[in-house]
Amino acid sequence: MESQRIVERDVNTQITKITARNVNVFYGDAHALTSVDVDILDKTVTAFIGPSGCGKSTFLRCLNRMNDTIDICRVQGEIMLDGENIYDPKVDSVQLRAKVGMVFQKPNPFPKSIYDNVAYGPKIHGLTRNKAELDEVVETSLRKAAIWNEVKDRLQAPGTSLSGGQQQRLCIARAIATSPEVLLMDEPCSALDPIATAQVEELIDELRSQFSVVIVTHSMQQAARVSQRTAFFHLGHLVEYGETGQIFTQPQDPRTESYITGRIG
Amino acid sequence: MSDAVFFAPMPDAPVPRKGSLMVQDARTRKRNAAEARFKAYGLGAIGVGLLALIILITSILGNGTSAFRQTEIMLNVELSEAKLDKSGTRDLEAMKKVTTITYGPLLAKGLEMAITEAGIEIEGLTSKDVSAMISKEAAAQLRDLVLADPSLIGQTIPITVLASGRIDGYYKGRVSLASAELDSNVTPAQLLLADALKDKGLLATTLNPAFLTAPDASDQRPEAAGLGVAILGSAYMMLVVLVLALPIGVAASIYLEEFAPKNRWTDLIEVNISNLAAVPSIVFGILGLAIFINFAGLRASAPIVGGLVLTLMTLPTIIISTRAALKSVPPSIRDAALGVGASKMQAVFHHVLPLAAPGILTGTIIGLAQALGETAPLLLIGMVAFVREYPAIYTEADGLFGEPSTALPVQVFNWTQRADPAFFERASGAIIVLLVFLLIMNAVAIILRRRFERRW
Repeated sequence: MESQRIVERDVNTQITKITARNVNVFYGDAHALTSVDVDILDKTVTAFIGPSGCGKSTFLRCLNRMNDTIDICRVQGEIMLDGENIYDPKVDSVQLRAKVGMVFQKPNPFPKSIYDNVAYGPKIHGLTRNKAELDEVVETSLRKAAIWNEVKDRLQAPGTSLSGGQQQRLCIARAIATSPEVLLMDEPCSALDPIATAQVEELIDELRSQFSVVIVTHSMQQAARVSQRTAFFHLGHLVEYGETGQIFTQPQDPRTESYITGRIG
Repeated sequence: MSDAVFFAPMPDAPVPRKGSLMVQDARTRKRNAAEARFKAYGLGAIGVGLLALIILITSILGNGTSAFRQTEIMLNVELSEAKLDKSGTRDLEAMKKVTTITYGPLLAKGLEMAITEAGIEIEGLTSKDVSAMISKEAAAQLRDLVLADPSLIGQTIPITVLASGRIDGYYKGRVSLASAELDSNVTPAQLLLADALKDKGLLATTLNPAFLTAPDASDQRPEAAGLGVAILGSAYMMLVVLVLALPIGVAASIYLEEFAPKNRWTDLIEVNISNLAAVPSIVFGILGLAIFINFAGLRASAPIVGGLVLTLMTLPTIIISTRAALKSVPPSIRDAALGVGASKMQAVFHHVLPLAAPGILTGTIIGLAQALGETAPLLLIGMVAFVREYPAIYTEADGLFGEPSTALPVQVFNWTQRADPAFFERASGAIIVLLVFLLIMNAVAIILRRRFERRW
């Protein structure tokens, strides 16, 4: 049944959104990522899998320069978003992050109202001209994040009063409210129960029609369920990258096979 | 992972102990005894602390509450035109030439008349003794009254004047008939007269709001001394500290915590700020004397100088507590803000700072409370001076908060140095006022904390 789904699904776009070439990341003297080359496709869910500390989250955070906030972190190489190098000195990371949104491992809504949580991004980027437009953006985002029906009657309630799964969907709504082109998700379901996880996974599949989604996950089942392409990281190297079905059924590299079958990890 | 896992007993596991759960073994007894001992030590420590607090408070309240009550004499005084305004023109300038020396005998005469009218006869009472019952402050009080309203001249007006410090002390237990025998400032006859006046309702010990509003008074008239100038000076200084230390401290903390690169220089600054918090306060006084008075040429004893010195002293406290408050905001909030494309400054000001606000406010108010009670640096910049004029907020000559003043803790220090025991009561009373201000500030800190506290 599981494998059935994977085979049925195919990658329906071949437009490259992000191109990474020879990316190296250092934390002080530690070499965290070694020459990673990846092409991430538009309107596709790409999953990064691998054991803990393999560098998949580090690489994800390179894609919207969240690593800039870590003092000792250095990034070398080239990451192109629509043909523009995001590590060019001329690039303002604030503008980049408006295009490349991010959802974190732990749900982290602002301790403000649900409405303010979603409205914050559009407000600071000046995406709306008036309150009516802002209301509309908030509603659309909450609808896209499949949480509108649960919160429409209490938009002024604090975001932190929601349950964990709702909080994470609120964070997704917040991320898509700025209409990004790429959505990065760093283990978005690791703090959620199976039902909330299923809701978020369903949501990711729907979001694929509008964004390029990159998801880091510890769960291989999740990668198999939601993604079209999968990258396997191991010890700071990108071991294998390809279509999800192929990675899980006919891995080329023995390390990938060992990981998938549970021998390393 | 549905496979059941069976745990085999580990080969080198200790042999399970045999014995009833109802009986404590030696090891458990020993551990329980140690715990009981530790609890006893803790309880003892709290007991000692509470005892010290109780002793302190009873001692201060016992000595100080009487400062809020004062003995007063009610009498009628005849304002004779012949003495107060010889020209008869009611010309203020001419009337100002008449000093308190002229007003004194008028009061004495009024009191003598009151005694005669009441039919009080005390043996061995000279008219000098009678006039000495009235505070030396009373003549000035009467003069001010007349100068403010010259039409009173020629009338006989009722007036309530302070009794002298010794008479006041008699009703507060400081002075007795026995001690009056040995005291050159008071005679037993005066005390008997005071009792007689009290019986007739001409002398009473009443609430004394002047203690909070009147300026300091000289050594000879403790009964007139008040905290007005000191409270005003302390309030001005707190204003200066709040206006300077809060923004500077918070801005410095935000920069150091959120923006500054973590390198050797910021480490050095950090260590120095922490050390600055432990520098003896008198050092700040010397610094203030050298910089603000000698170099910058500000006026000695001015609240602005005191405020600047206390600002320097309070800054480390505010910076340290603000940084702790900023640190305690979870990094996930910063990530969330940066993740939707907020700039670092937006992340700090929209999200981190509001969450850190309760901590920052608490730190600031604790810093202010510390500054309010600080004495040593103020001694060095001359705030210990005897000041009778209320300082103005702004004057052309001295600028903002530039007029000499004194401060609450310095007034306490000042009064404890004076010989008359009545000043000891005043000093204790001033400590009560200081403690009440500190309590109010701490209450405000708690209320603000509750108000701004948010959960995440």
